[in-house]
Amino acid sequence: MFSIYKKELQSFFYTPFAYALTALFMLLFTYMFASPIAKLESTNTLMFSFTEIFYDIIMFFIFLIPIITMRTFADERKLGTEVLLMSSPLNVAKIVLGKFFANVTVFLFMIAGSALFPIITEMNGEVVVSQLICAYIGFFSWGTMFIALGMLISSFTESAIIAAIIGEFVMFVDLFLDDISRSAFVSQYPKLQSLLTAFAAQPRFAYFSQGFIRLSDLVFFASAIIVLLCWTYISIERRRWNRG
Amino acid sequence: MITIENLTKYYGKNRAVNNISFTINDNEILGFLGPNGAGKSTTMNMIAGYLPMTDGKVTIFGSDITKDPVKAKLNMGYLPEIPPVYPEMKVTEYLSFCAGIKRIPLGKRKEEIARVMSLLKIEDVKGKLIRNLSKGYRQRVGFAQALLGDPKFIILDEPTVGLDPNQVVEVRKLIKSLKKDHCVIFSSHILSEVSEVCDRVVIINKGDIRAIDTIENLESRFSTSLSLHIKVKGQKSKVASIIETTDGIKEILSIDDEGSEIYSFTVQLDGNADEIQDKLMNELIKNHIRIMEIFTEKPNLESVFIELINKPVQKSKLSDLLDEIVPEDESSADDDSEADDDEKEDN
Repeated sequence: MFSIYKKELQSFFYTPFAYALTALFMLLFTYMFASPIAKLESTNTLMFSFTEIFYDIIMFFIFLIPIITMRTFADERKLGTEVLLMSSPLNVAKIVLGKFFANVTVFLFMIAGSALFPIITEMNGEVVVSQLICAYIGFFSWGTMFIALGMLISSFTESAIIAAIIGEFVMFVDLFLDDISRSAFVSQYPKLQSLLTAFAAQPRFAYFSQGFIRLSDLVFFASAIIVLLCWTYISIERRRWNRG
Repeated sequence: MITIENLTKYYGKNRAVNNISFTINDNEILGFLGPNGAGKSTTMNMIAGYLPMTDGKVTIFGSDITKDPVKAKLNMGYLPEIPPVYPEMKVTEYLSFCAGIKRIPLGKRKEEIARVMSLLKIEDVKGKLIRNLSKGYRQRVGFAQALLGDPKFIILDEPTVGLDPNQVVEVRKLIKSLKKDHCVIFSSHILSEVSEVCDRVVIINKGDIRAIDTIENLESRFSTSLSLHIKVKGQKSKVASIIETTDGIKEILSIDDEGSEIYSFTVQLDGNADEIQDKLMNELIKNHIRIMEIFTEKPNLESVFIELINKPVQKSKLSDLLDEIVPEDESSADDDSEADDDEKEDN
């Protein structure tokens, strides 16, 4: 499994791929961080919340996650390297986990850069560390769940571009699932409404961003990741059986 | 020893491989031949554990590829039809990754990578990105990964595709040298290559095995279709009538006029080639016809292959199939009723 993990990381970091994504993320974060400072009109004390920045950045971040995950399985199939992995002594579960942990590492690398801003703020003011940690845990859980979702979508196709487009769409829908569940149309169907609310990740992230760590939210993200990874495993095995 | 038993593969309702069985002995190179779409790559992918089989069993040195895949795959190296390489990796990085997934101990990896690079003569490109390599080099890098860890069973799906003539010769030599302490299954479209490298061949078409034997046995089994070439100086009609009346000549296949009363005949033989050739020469000499050239063309693997592939599959007669499925009780009942009918007729 470590060989797969290492190879995946190499493929990210030996190309400008991971650096370009991190730079884009930092650009977004810098904009979110700097815009309230730029709007400051008096010399009053500036108060702002990092958790809000995380909350706002999710909207942009859903476009970055599928770019990390799009090549995970689609490229293996396209290059014909899937046969190398499947005919090796590795089992499919180890392949899925190796790739998952590599994607999570790239995600961590991206969000690690954002820690620079609280550090600068701490040097010049005061940061509520506990709330910041909550926001990071929430952001990490949410991002990891979407990585598992992106990997699943990548296992469905041979084209990385199609995997990215479908990933963007699915994650976009998930982001607005809570709003959809509260719409007038869905309100007419209480069962559907409760189902959509149960699957909506955004309100759960909102709790984290407000400084609450709820066990139910952690269980939700953990179980969603496990289900999505198992589904990815099944999808790969199913494709092997149906391969023509 | 590698055993393939009743291997079958269906893609939906389409049958790609139909109940094939064969073995690959220790220290043997087995050729796997068939036209495009015959089921060669599907079979190789199933043997390698990449594709699950619909039915059947593959045993690699006693380990079932389905029940104990890790143990079976540890003894196996596979070069698929398209070399499975990562273009963004350097050659050494790629081989190091392959060594990792093949569970070669960390301390031995460097030495093992150097060994396979030397075998495939790819040391000069070890620091290059695979995407910048020629097709031949990519093929050799793919071959090198199959040899990593010195597995005792090697599957090679068209290993010489994309190589230049010098590389082809070297790779063939390498494959032959593997025979010493490996068993190898090797598919190729180049029949001369198979003749040169393999001990036995399996010929497959449309998912069915058409023949399994040594090349020599296959060629002798098809020796009834020998043809004789003879170049003579003399009257065409006279020579033709002598040839036609000689025992063992099946038919004249062609006559070429080469000018100055010189004719080349190609005839199909039906019997012992040497005896027929002697008889024909005696007859021609008796009739004062000058023989300029005479030789028998023995069937080679190519002609055997073409004949086997074009031969329709022999199907059981309907009556044979019915005999097989009619239960004994029912058949004895039929016999009784027939006897009753006979009695009635007698009365």
